[in-house]
Amino acid sequence: MSRPSPTSFFSFRRSLIIAQSTVTQLVRMKVFYFLAPIALLFLGLQFFDAFWYEGPEALMPEQELRMHKNLCLGTMMLFTSLFAIVSTALLIPGDIEDRTLYTILCKPVPRLDYLVGKLFGVIAVIFIAMLVMDVLLVATLHFRTEEKLIETTEYMTKIGYPEREIEAGRAEIAAHGPTLLLQFGVISHFLKACVIAAVALLISTFSTSTLFTIATSVMIWIIGAFQSIARDGLFNDAEFGDVPTWADKIVGTLVSLIFPDFLLYEAISDGAARAEDVLAMDMAQLGGLSALYIGIYVVLSWFVFSDKEF
Amino acid sequence: MSDVAAVEVKNLVKNFKGPFRGKKVHAVRNVSLTIAPGEVYGLIGPNGSGKSTTMKAVLGLVAPSSGMCAIFGRNSTKVDSRSEVGFLPENPYFYKHLTGAETVRFYGKLCGMKGLELKHRVEEMLELVGLQDARDRRLKGYSKGMLQRIGLAQALVQDPKLVVLDEPTAGVDPVGSREIRDLILELKNRGITVFLCSHLLEQVQEICDRVGIIHQGVLVNEGRLDDLISLEDKTELILENATPELMDQIRTLVEVTHGAGVISEGRARTTLESLFLKETRSQTLRVRKKRKRVSK
Repeated sequence: MSRPSPTSFFSFRRSLIIAQSTVTQLVRMKVFYFLAPIALLFLGLQFFDAFWYEGPEALMPEQELRMHKNLCLGTMMLFTSLFAIVSTALLIPGDIEDRTLYTILCKPVPRLDYLVGKLFGVIAVIFIAMLVMDVLLVATLHFRTEEKLIETTEYMTKIGYPEREIEAGRAEIAAHGPTLLLQFGVISHFLKACVIAAVALLISTFSTSTLFTIATSVMIWIIGAFQSIARDGLFNDAEFGDVPTWADKIVGTLVSLIFPDFLLYEAISDGAARAEDVLAMDMAQLGGLSALYIGIYVVLSWFVFSDKEF
Repeated sequence: MSDVAAVEVKNLVKNFKGPFRGKKVHAVRNVSLTIAPGEVYGLIGPNGSGKSTTMKAVLGLVAPSSGMCAIFGRNSTKVDSRSEVGFLPENPYFYKHLTGAETVRFYGKLCGMKGLELKHRVEEMLELVGLQDARDRRLKGYSKGMLQRIGLAQALVQDPKLVVLDEPTAGVDPVGSREIRDLILELKNRGITVFLCSHLLEQVQEICDRVGIIHQGVLVNEGRLDDLISLEDKTELILENATPELMDQIRTLVEVTHGAGVISEGRARTTLESLFLKETRSQTLRVRKKRKRVSK
């Protein structure tokens, strides 16, 4: 039998083996059952019309579509973020408690491979869940947009709008349908969930309980969602009328360094839901920033985990 | 056989910090031991004596406070040292969602095995531990003994030169325990070094070449088992079909020899374990014969 080759500092193959096992574990834990109520919600939205549709305060069709997108994107964000936190928080402490980690680390497996493998596994499951939800969103939004297009065309024709204006109205509604721009919103939530999973990974390397990991990750998620607003308050003189002190600036800088700025992801998602122009460059920058966040959190996790004793 | 020791522990000290900067816990104090390749070494001691900590230090799961551990000359804190090691922890829990075959395959892949080599090795290991029939069952349905055996299979998957076993028969019934003992002897015959720790002294006595006794973190005695347990000034004589006349003659001979004396005399005894195994096996055979008769 051939002897194993010398262990490298990091092996992508070994990480993929651990990731594959993590995906199998999560799938066999039946995590995708959570998709059933989400599918029902998305389908239910299909039949939900704003009750004030008629009359002077009637919503425009594009507003209804935007509401549909906002609700779906919000649900996707909530599900994937919570899933990223809970699954990451359960996996590593679970392995330590069960001593499964002993048997893994007693094989020639560097600890970085294990951490990266676990993170890849969680991200892969988030990706699959996101893909399913995205297909549901696109399908329901497509049918709803078609319905609105027919309704609007009939309505505008009935009250005698010229053809050119009818076409302009149709184009306005179609822009709020399942476009490529909408995918930017979906991708931004996927990236956000990946960053949250990396944060939970870091916390789980030094935490002693799953509950602590979940609570702290949720706290960081909330701080991340509001940190840029708080920083504006500290740095922008005009905001509150006070000149920020050095201490304010140091605190603000530290907060922005430690906690990821999740408002950036929301900005892209909101832009996509409003069918405003989101530049591919903005999306690429968000992707780069997410990779940087994930990289930093993985390296920090590795520092903590490499000296951890079991 | 190579000159490099399979396991070398030099002046190992391991202290754990107490909670809230409390008193340090001295788990292992200046332990040194060497295990030669092909040897079966047993580390025995009461609960909390430092056995598992010593093992974990050898496996790189805890870092020594001072001193060093090496496996085949490689420092235990380096990942490379683990390519030749298989480890079975006490009461192992593997991924319950995997089947027996998937578990062995997973650990084989982690050791860099793939393709046909891995496939054949998985089958070989399942056969070795007698779990071919349960290969496609998920581990959540395995008994304790089966988990222990699948643990051995994963420990051996990459054909390691050293196997570390922490309480390998803990919680296993006598039949399963005997099977694991036989497996360890089989490993010994294959030239694999075994480092085990156990509370079951009788079993350690049956399989170990050398033994270390650890108490309160200190290795209080160590050496070849025969040397440690033989009593210099006492001799045991077990006779078969001895008549009362022969016994009288022996007693007379002893009485006339200066300084010699009979300390005890009685019937030779079997062990409870042997009795249990004999009875359960004969009962199983009787049931099987009965079933055969009924089916005919």
